[in-house]
Amino acid sequence: MTPSAIASVKTKPAGTGAGPGGAPGRRGPGTVTALRGLAGLAGLVAVLEALPHTGVVSADYLPPASEIGRTLWHLLAENAFWTALADTLTGWGLGLAIAVVAGVVAGVVIGSVPVLRAVTASTIEFLRPIPSVALIPVAVLLYGTDLESTLLLVVYASFWQVLVQVLAGTQDVDPVADDTARSYQLGRWGRVRYVLWPTALPYVMTGVRLASAVALVLAITAELVIGSPGLGHEIAVAQNSGAVSRVYALVLVTGLLGVAINLVARAVERRALHWHQSLRREG
Amino acid sequence: MRRRILGLAIAVVTVAGAAGCGSSSAGTSGSSASGSGKTTQVKVGIVPIVDVAPLYLGQKKGFFSSRGIELKMESAQGGAAIIPGVVSGQFQFGFSNTTSLMIAQTKGVPVTSVANGSATTGDTTTDISGVAVKKDSPVKSAKDLAGKTVAVNTLQNIGDTTVREAVRKDGGDPSKVKFVEMPFDQMPAALDGGQVDAAWMGEPALTIAKSQGARVVASPFAETDPKLTLATFFTSTRLTKEDPDLVKKFAEAMAESLAYASAHKDEARQILTTYTKIDGDVLKNLTLPSWPAEYDMASLEKLASLGEQDGLFSDKKPDLKALFQ
Amino acid sequence: MTVLTAGRRILLLLGMPAVLFAVWWFATADSTDVYFPPLSTILRKFGEVWAGDRLTADILPSLLRLTAGYLLAVAVGVGLGLVVGMSRVVRDVLEPVLELFRAVPPPVLVPVIMLFAGIGDTMKILVIVSGCVWPILLNTVEGVRAVDEVLSDTCRSYGITGPSRLWHLVLRSASPQIVTGMRQSLSIGIILMVISEMFAASNGLGFTIVQFQRTFAIPEMWSGVLLLGLLGFVLSLLFRFAENRALAWYHGLRRAQRDT
Repeated sequence: MTPSAIASVKTKPAGTGAGPGGAPGRRGPGTVTALRGLAGLAGLVAVLEALPHTGVVSADYLPPASEIGRTLWHLLAENAFWTALADTLTGWGLGLAIAVVAGVVAGVVIGSVPVLRAVTASTIEFLRPIPSVALIPVAVLLYGTDLESTLLLVVYASFWQVLVQVLAGTQDVDPVADDTARSYQLGRWGRVRYVLWPTALPYVMTGVRLASAVALVLAITAELVIGSPGLGHEIAVAQNSGAVSRVYALVLVTGLLGVAINLVARAVERRALHWHQSLRREG
Repeated sequence: MRRRILGLAIAVVTVAGAAGCGSSSAGTSGSSASGSGKTTQVKVGIVPIVDVAPLYLGQKKGFFSSRGIELKMESAQGGAAIIPGVVSGQFQFGFSNTTSLMIAQTKGVPVTSVANGSATTGDTTTDISGVAVKKDSPVKSAKDLAGKTVAVNTLQNIGDTTVREAVRKDGGDPSKVKFVEMPFDQMPAALDGGQVDAAWMGEPALTIAKSQGARVVASPFAETDPKLTLATFFTSTRLTKEDPDLVKKFAEAMAESLAYASAHKDEARQILTTYTKIDGDVLKNLTLPSWPAEYDMASLEKLASLGEQDGLFSDKKPDLKALFQ
Repeated sequence: MTVLTAGRRILLLLGMPAVLFAVWWFATADSTDVYFPPLSTILRKFGEVWAGDRLTADILPSLLRLTAGYLLAVAVGVGLGLVVGMSRVVRDVLEPVLELFRAVPPPVLVPVIMLFAGIGDTMKILVIVSGCVWPILLNTVEGVRAVDEVLSDTCRSYGITGPSRLWHLVLRSASPQIVTGMRQSLSIGIILMVISEMFAASNGLGFTIVQFQRTFAIPEMWSGVLLLGLLGFVLSLLFRFAENRALAWYHGLRRAQRDT
C-alpha cells in the first residue's frame, strides 16, 4: 500500500466535476487569478486616491495614493532602503525558519504522544497569549538592538502559530486510517510518516502561512520599537521626522512584502498539497 | 556573567525551551580596552530626534575619534528600550530625558548621568516643545487647559509634569487637566480631528502642526525653568567603576560636541538630515534646543520636586547628586 | 485511550507549570538584578497590584474591549470567509488586498485606524479586530474550500441550497477549522488588546503593564505578564468548554469511528 492510498482514505476520491467556484476554462487559470488580484489592488489604490479628496481625512495625515507612489519611487532609489529591506527579510526568514522547524518538531512529538499532549496543554495555553511586546525589555537586555532581539520576538510569536496548527492537525488524524496503518504493522515512525504527516500537512501549511505573516509583522514591530535595523526602523525614523508620505510608502512596502510572501507560501502549499481536497478542484 | 545565565534561564522558562533560539553572541563588543592610542567601539542608545544632533556632529568633527572612541549609534523608540540596554552593557551609553532617569534611580536601576544632553531654549515663545491647540480653540493660555484633554507622548513623565506646572503658574487648576498618551507624530492629526483639545508636542511635530495652522498656548519647559535640563547621556554605574577612563573621555568629547553645536547651529541643523528624514521648510523652521555643556542643577531640583508632587517616584526622593555627575 | 481520573487530570494540568515555576523560583531566588527580580517578589506584587481597584479600573475595561473585538472578528472572519471561500472570483480579487492589510504591523496600523475611529474604545476594538480576524478568516476559507465534494453533490441532488446548504453543509463541515482559527485568534486578541492600549489609552491591562515597564516598576511588570498568561489560560479553558459543546458531533464522530 502506498502512502497516498492511506491518506486518501480520508479525502475520498471525488468526482471530477468542477465545484461551484470552479475554474472558468482550463487555459491559464494563473493569469486570470493574477489579473483579478491586480484588479483588487487597483480598487484599493483608487479608494486611497479618492479618500483625501472627499474630505473624510486630510491629505496631511493620509496622503493620496499618487503621492505615496511618488515617495515610494524615490525610496526605491535609496541604497539605505534596500539594506533595510534585506535586514528585515533576514530577520523574517531566520525567525520563521527556526519557528517552523521548532513548531513542527514539537507539534509532531507532542501531538503523537497523548501523555505529552496532556502534560503540556496548560503550559502552552499559558505561554501563548503573552504578548511579544511584553518581552521587549528582556530582548534588549539579552541582545541589545542586534538581530537576535528581533529573532527572539519573531520566533516567540510565530512558533505558537505553527505549533497550534500542527497539534490541530495531529488531532484530526482519521482513526480508520490510523487503524489501517496499525493493522499493516506500521511502527510509530511509520504512522507519523504515512498517516499523521499527510493528515497534518494542510494544517501545517496553513500554520506556516499564518506564521510567515506573523513573523513579518513581528520583525517590523521589533525593528520599530527596539530599533534594530530594518524597514520598521525606517518607519520609526520617518514617524519621528513627521514625514507622513514616507511612513505610508514604507507601510505599503511592508504590505506588498506580505502579499509576495503569501504568494510564495501559496505556491509552496500548492506543491505540497496537490492531492488535497481543497486544492484539487481548482486543477 | 551571572546576569547572562539568569537572563537565559528566564528566557528559557519563558520560551519553554521550545523556540531554541541559540544565543551565540557571548562576547559583548566594545568592552574595557581604552588604553592610550587604542580605539574603543562605543555603542550609544539614542532616539533619532533633534536633541541628539551634537552627538552626530561631534562624531563628524572627530571629537570622539580623537579620544579613541569609535561611536556607533543604536537608535530606539524610547527609554524603555535604551535603559535596559545600557544596564545590561549592550550599550555603553544612552540618551534619556532627566525625569525618566530620576524615576529609574528611585526604582533602583543602576544608572548614572555622565554628560549633558539638551536644555530648553528658555524662550517662552519659541521653545522646543509646546502645547498646541486648533486655531479656533477657546483655549487662550495655559490656565484654560483645566478640564481639557491634552495629548502627551508619555504619561507620568516630563511632559505632563511640566504642562501641569505651566497651568499652575498661569493660575489654572492642574489637577483638572486630563492627559492621554500618543506618539508625537500622531498628534497633529488627533488635534485636527478634535480627538484631543490640545497636544504637547516636541520638534519637529510642533513645527509641522504650526505650519498646519495650530496655535501654541504654552511652552511648558521654558515656563518651568528657563534653564531646564531636559535630557542627558547616561551610563551604568558599573561602567563608571570598571572603566572610569572611558566614561571621562566620553564626557569630555560630549562637552566639546555640545559647545561646538551651540556655536554652529546651522551645522547642527544640517546634520539632522543625516539621521532623520526632516527636510524642506520644517528643517529650516524648527526650533533647536540649547546645548549647554553643563547640567543646570537648580532646574533639575525643580523638576524633581515637580515629579515628587505628581507622585512619579512613589514616596522616594531621587538623589540628584549621585545621579548627575 | 485510558480514562483519566480527576486527580490525574489536575496533575497533568498543573504539573508542568508547577515545575517551571519551581525552576524560575530557584533560578531567581537571590537575584539582585533589577530586571529579573526574584519570583517571590513578583508574586507578592501580584496580589498588591491586581487585587484592588485595578480589577474594575483596568482589567474589566480591557476584558470588555477584548470580548467586543473578538466577537466582531468572529462575525467578520466567518462571514467574509464564507463568501471568499465559496467564490473563486471573490477570492482572487480580494486575496492580495487582504494579504496587504494582514502584513501591516498593528503598531503602524493604529495611527491609520485612529484617523477614522478616533482614540476611544471604538479604535481599540477595531485594532483587536484587525489582528484577530485573520486566523478565523483564513481557516474559514480553507474549511469552506475543503467541503467534501461527495457531500456537496449529495446536497445538490437533494435540492438543499441557499441558507440551509450554507448552514447544514458548508458551516458544519468547515466548523472544525473555523474553531481552530478562533482558538488562535483568542491569544492574538490578548496581544492586540495590549498593543491597542499602548496608544491613547488611560486605562487597561496593557496600558498598566506598559506604564510599569516605562517607570521601571519591574516586579509589577512581570506580575502583569503573568496575569496575561493566566488570562489566556482561563480564556482557553472557557474556549475548550464551549468547543466541546459546539463540536460535540464532530468529536463524537471521531470517537465513533475509533470504536468501530
